[in-house]
Amino acid sequence: MDRPAPIYDLKPWTTHYGGAASLPPLRHRHLAELLRETAARYAAQTAFTTCMPNGMHGSLTYRQVDEYSDAFAVYLREVAGLKAGARVALQTPNCLAYPVVAFGVLKAGCVLVNTNPLYTPAEMQHQFVDSGAEALVIVDLFADKLDSILAKTAIRRVIVAEVPQFFSRVPRAVIRGVMRWWNRVLPPIAVEHVRLQWALAEGSVAKDRGKIDVAHYTAGLGLETLALLQYTGGTTGVAKGAMLTHGNLLANLEQSFAVGRSHIDEGREVVLTALPLYHIFAFTFNLLAFFAMGARNVLVPSPRPIGNLQRAFDNYPITWASGVNTLFNALLNEEWFTAFPPKHLKASVAGGAALQHPVAERWRRVTGTVIAEGYGLTESSPVVAFNPLTGKQKPDSIGIPVPGTDVRLVDDEGSPVPAGAPGELIVRGPQVMQGYWQRPEETTAAIRDGWLHTGDVAVMDGDGYFRIVDRKKDMVLVSGFNVYPNEVEDAIAQMDEVLEVAAIGVPDARSGEAVRAYVVPLADGLTEEQVRTHCRRLLADYKVPKTVEFRRELPKTPIGKILRKELRAEYRAKSGA
Amino acid sequence: MLTELETKLLGIMMMVIMLGMGASLTFKDFRIAFRKPQGIMIGLLAQYGIMPALGYALAVTLGMPPPLAIGLILMGCMPGGTTSNIFTYFSKGVLALSIMMTICSTLVAVVMVPLLLEFYSQLKGLPAEYKVPAGNVAQVLVVLIVPTLIGIGLRKWNPNVGATIELIGGLLGIFVILFLIATWVPRNHLLLATTHWTVYFAVIGLGLIGMALGYVLARGLRQDPRRARTIALETGIQNGPLAVLIVLLTFRDEMQQQVLLAPVLYSLFIVLTSSAVTVWFRGKTNREELARDQAKVPTSAPAAATARAAAAGQAP
Repeated sequence: MDRPAPIYDLKPWTTHYGGAASLPPLRHRHLAELLRETAARYAAQTAFTTCMPNGMHGSLTYRQVDEYSDAFAVYLREVAGLKAGARVALQTPNCLAYPVVAFGVLKAGCVLVNTNPLYTPAEMQHQFVDSGAEALVIVDLFADKLDSILAKTAIRRVIVAEVPQFFSRVPRAVIRGVMRWWNRVLPPIAVEHVRLQWALAEGSVAKDRGKIDVAHYTAGLGLETLALLQYTGGTTGVAKGAMLTHGNLLANLEQSFAVGRSHIDEGREVVLTALPLYHIFAFTFNLLAFFAMGARNVLVPSPRPIGNLQRAFDNYPITWASGVNTLFNALLNEEWFTAFPPKHLKASVAGGAALQHPVAERWRRVTGTVIAEGYGLTESSPVVAFNPLTGKQKPDSIGIPVPGTDVRLVDDEGSPVPAGAPGELIVRGPQVMQGYWQRPEETTAAIRDGWLHTGDVAVMDGDGYFRIVDRKKDMVLVSGFNVYPNEVEDAIAQMDEVLEVAAIGVPDARSGEAVRAYVVPLADGLTEEQVRTHCRRLLADYKVPKTVEFRRELPKTPIGKILRKELRAEYRAKSGA
Repeated sequence: MLTELETKLLGIMMMVIMLGMGASLTFKDFRIAFRKPQGIMIGLLAQYGIMPALGYALAVTLGMPPPLAIGLILMGCMPGGTTSNIFTYFSKGVLALSIMMTICSTLVAVVMVPLLLEFYSQLKGLPAEYKVPAGNVAQVLVVLIVPTLIGIGLRKWNPNVGATIELIGGLLGIFVILFLIATWVPRNHLLLATTHWTVYFAVIGLGLIGMALGYVLARGLRQDPRRARTIALETGIQNGPLAVLIVLLTFRDEMQQQVLLAPVLYSLFIVLTSSAVTVWFRGKTNREELARDQAKVPTSAPAAATARAAAAGQAP
């Protein structure tokens, strides 16, 4: 295996770092230590504010978050009787209960299992059984989904949280009144449960009575200790838990700081958290990183419709925002946003899905601030690469690897491809997960010789900036030629009559595989032939979709990524293959 | 008609409602409304151009006897009513624009109403001596402006208080609308039974056709659909109580009762038609919101070029 050092190992991108090229040594042994230290430093400052669409709000200071999460840690260990390393699932939208519970779980030395509140009972069951969760904190809105599945899981404690948790009495009563009597979204809860405020009270009493030092729970913890089971669908179907350690997350925090440091004034920032915290991007970037920076986190329970964000922008001097392409796009379509863009905004970061070039440009023009696109995966805590906030930003690129990260592009045999050629992106660094929870085979498939295989095909330019070409698994092989669905989709999306499009490969008798496009038209009347004619002008013949299907919507993940695998599964089922 | 107590009570409730409306706003909303100041001018044009002419046209084409004709024309010449703001709020229109239009049309009412009344009355050969109570017009302004400003202030001071007041104002708004509908019909059923269909047509038409024309005018002058809907509601909804007051001050006895018919019936039906239109408009606004949510970003080349230039300019 003696080859010349590939260009990637020379790290041509390091010249574009604003700061140090190497990652400083981690200052904490585990997250609990970081959380406690930060809380002490910013004790009286506001840590979290939940902002409802009508402007009603509730806040917690750093000290309160510290005390409540201590109480919850004691509740888990003493009252619920959990051992260190026990899994605790958390299933709420963004609200004040989220940081209290998440931090409490980490302080108890337990493992947090982030769970999407919109999951179906079947999906919940899979995740709870797979993770072996022993306790669950669930938002009251969806607690009725437990009726049919709880008995099939190992969950012994159900703790019920609410969106206006920790609000003062009148706003809480108003919000719950509207939820119960007007929207009718508070179902009766049939399973045995306790309310979060009651659990906190019990924990607090147990702490005082037993004179418990909460730090004791995490005394034996280290960087290698499991902190988080973050489930990811992957492309193979069944959701599996990425095992992220305290070390993984602490390292990724440092790596995020390396990206944002130039625009972060410690203890002064106000960050908008409209993305769900149960998603790894917001979890690491908004919740952990900005908490550690002494920022005020403005939590929005639901950013849809986008008008729900208006009061957050009206009432708080937002300085930082994180989002996905669809969120920035939606804001740019609102007059209240574009006419008076947030005055205090300094920087925004986009992840989750590709940030479209026109959206990024318009964002810069309207807000006058920088927006940087990054790239990451659940398996890497998540940040792998980012466009630097100061210095060169390249549109349609995921930027450069963050400090302390090795990246290569390789072919099917695992050999590095020459610069400029497409190859699978593989990653090595302190943020890469330990593996998939109780799935050794999938772990060995994903992490080979210490390199995480992302399944994304990318290209590196001369400056060391990377551009994602497509998903390896989505690649279509037409008569021996590689077709990247992204390229076909981009071509079709240029048609004014097209709202959204997805392209997949399907078996074909003549060419082995053929491209099939799914198009959501803006209005009726678009024909298959028009789409194909348009493609023929822009694409080589073999890339032109052989078939086009029109439909009203496309299957998507909760954060808006189009799910090609569902389209493929659907096609397979229909064609009886 | 309402008793004096009820009128007072309604006045107080109106102030609470406007407090709630104010609590849903910020000064930024007014600045957004002023970004396209044509909106307010178009509103005034619709208010004092379309509506009086419409009142006159309905009176003439339907061959209304003089007392009814006076009532209709008077109704057409009124400034915008405060209830238009409530309906705009519920239809998710541009509330700040609606409030500004109501304030502006009320401000100029002292001058415009007598002028218009004289013009159209003479055109129809009717007596043209009207007493427009400037004090009451000022009162309308106070009831409108003061609670709105307090509401805005409360919301700025504490968003929890603001949101609670907004909710109370909204609930009270619904209550008042339902109260007006529920009490006016039984109270006036005799009147309703004996009234000729042309009168119904005229009083309902004044509101509905007014809204339609206001919308067409606003769209024709390039207002966006949401602003146009706001202007439509503002145009169609007139200040009924002010018309009643003018009649009471100007006419006596039998004549007074006959002239009152049009404003009274108008005030009843405008609540019904506005409610229906509001539900319709609200649905449209919601659908537009959803569509915007999914809309593509304009990708035209010139826009992209300026964006690039701007980005290059601000890069360090």
